[in-house]
Amino acid sequence: MHPALKETIGYHALRGSGVTLFLLLWELAPRLGWIDPYFVPPFSRVLPEIGRLWQEGALQLHLVVSIWRAACGLVLAALIALPVGLLLGERFAALSEALDPVLRVLSQVNPFTLMPVFVLFFGIGETAKVAVVAWVSLWPILFYTITGVRGVDPVQVKSAASLGVTQTELLLKVLLPASLPTIAVGVRIGATITFYILVAAEMLGSSAGLGFLVHNSAMNYQIPRIYAGATFIVLLGFLLNRTLQLLERNLFDWQLAAAYRPHGGGYQRSLWQPGRLTVAAGSAFLLLFLILGGVEVQKIDREAAQPASESGGHSHHLGTPVDNGGF
Amino acid sequence: MNDMTVKRILAICVLLAAWELLPRVGAVNPLFIPPFSGVLSALADLNESGELARHTLVSLERALAGLSAAVVLGLPLGLILGGWFPRIQQAAEPLMELFAQANPVILAHIIIFFLGIGQSAKIFIIAWLCIWPITFSTITGLKTVDPGLIKAARSLGLGRGELFLRVVLPASAPSIFTGLRLAAGYAFIMLIAAEMMGASSGLGFLVIQSQESYNVTRIFAGASIITFFAVATDLLIKGVERRVVVWNDTASQDFLKLPRAVPEQS
Repeated sequence: MHPALKETIGYHALRGSGVTLFLLLWELAPRLGWIDPYFVPPFSRVLPEIGRLWQEGALQLHLVVSIWRAACGLVLAALIALPVGLLLGERFAALSEALDPVLRVLSQVNPFTLMPVFVLFFGIGETAKVAVVAWVSLWPILFYTITGVRGVDPVQVKSAASLGVTQTELLLKVLLPASLPTIAVGVRIGATITFYILVAAEMLGSSAGLGFLVHNSAMNYQIPRIYAGATFIVLLGFLLNRTLQLLERNLFDWQLAAAYRPHGGGYQRSLWQPGRLTVAAGSAFLLLFLILGGVEVQKIDREAAQPASESGGHSHHLGTPVDNGGF
Repeated sequence: MNDMTVKRILAICVLLAAWELLPRVGAVNPLFIPPFSGVLSALADLNESGELARHTLVSLERALAGLSAAVVLGLPLGLILGGWFPRIQQAAEPLMELFAQANPVILAHIIIFFLGIGQSAKIFIIAWLCIWPITFSTITGLKTVDPGLIKAARSLGLGRGELFLRVVLPASAPSIFTGLRLAAGYAFIMLIAAEMMGASSGLGFLVIQSQESYNVTRIFAGASIITFFAVATDLLIKGVERRVVVWNDTASQDFLKLPRAVPEQS
């Protein structure tokens, strides 16, 4: 075998060994009676439970609800934080210095204590949850946008100014692109924290969503189902984080090249670079998902509200076929 | 007091004044957002009845116990994995990343099976949450120690133990403090969630109870006091860091802040 290949295999085996060991322990401990298998069902019983949830359609349904809420909140937060951050970072730098303590205190306001307040404003519907999500992701995006704009190389700004660009052009063509890598980190952190908090908020009070799925299983003592839901959520969060990191690396490789290889070393194009068309298609897809998802989520909420008296509430709308706009 | 401090205090005053005046003149519904003075008097009432002290003490005890447990476990874990066993660290890292994703609030029901609904379940939730940022940032801190420092210390004849205590640990302290501050932030956010899920005391319970009785002023009072403690804890850790890490000019990063994207040499 080729030594490089051998090394790669060895590396991946090493990286995977921790997880494998844990799964093995999860499988064996209940089987050998180290833990009560009623409370901790072995992994081989949890995995088919995920499949069963998927076949029932429950998993897709709650997944769409959760992702729709997260996406709505993130888009809303980005729409507010990006312009505000760009302006505070460049045009009103002194103002943002003065506002710094206020923003820091506001960012520490606990999203869970805001939930009752948002419910007062928007009712118990989706808007309150989306508002919580938007609040949580607003701060990382805002802070990273400000940091990103401030970190733009002054030489670039001066060159642009000496070439006679207007203020708006400077903002859109120099500052925004140069700070995009930093903004992307903010969006990734926002998305990860948001997902974390959204699921917890769904456990506290909601009639759909992945958090509700777990909570409902616990209320019905379907213990393998709790583990199935939790495992799925953990994997989803992990994948979300990894995908966003991968996107960052691919999208902003020019920045990495400048930062880490200052003396030549060559500029290597990454495997995939989005053109205008990809960006447009992506935005269109997002918009479509937000609209179609919104309609779908409203429907799910209505159905969840109605049969509360009959058939134990939840199980009624499990079988709803879900059309989620091309997932 | 310099100019910027004055401006910052002014900004805070403007915010508080807006909070006081907007509900009073009717720009926002005072039933939904009560004016600042109303919230203050609600806090005074809570203080008089002794509820404030009781709930605050319970919450702080939980947060502190969870955070200290996380430090006691996470710091040595990070030091051992990052400092001595790089291969075990590589093997454990994906698993730890998955564990860090495992939101303890989702697992709350399972944790309750094992630990009951008492104090220990909540402390476990906080500890689980806080341990990962501390471990990860400790490992990062150890790995990013300037190799020049280590070589210089070696050539001056330092032994392994001394090298660790005198060079490696101090050099990674800023990163460790970053993890601590991150963990403290998470601790407060999730503590409130845990207390809202099922508790009979604590600040999260106070907020939920006020919501059930439609006492909006008390919701705001609870939220303000929680925010106050979150900010105070962060400032406290920052202050401790400034006393401990006196030699380093690159302090721990602010919560949600990043070193400059473009290196500043040009």
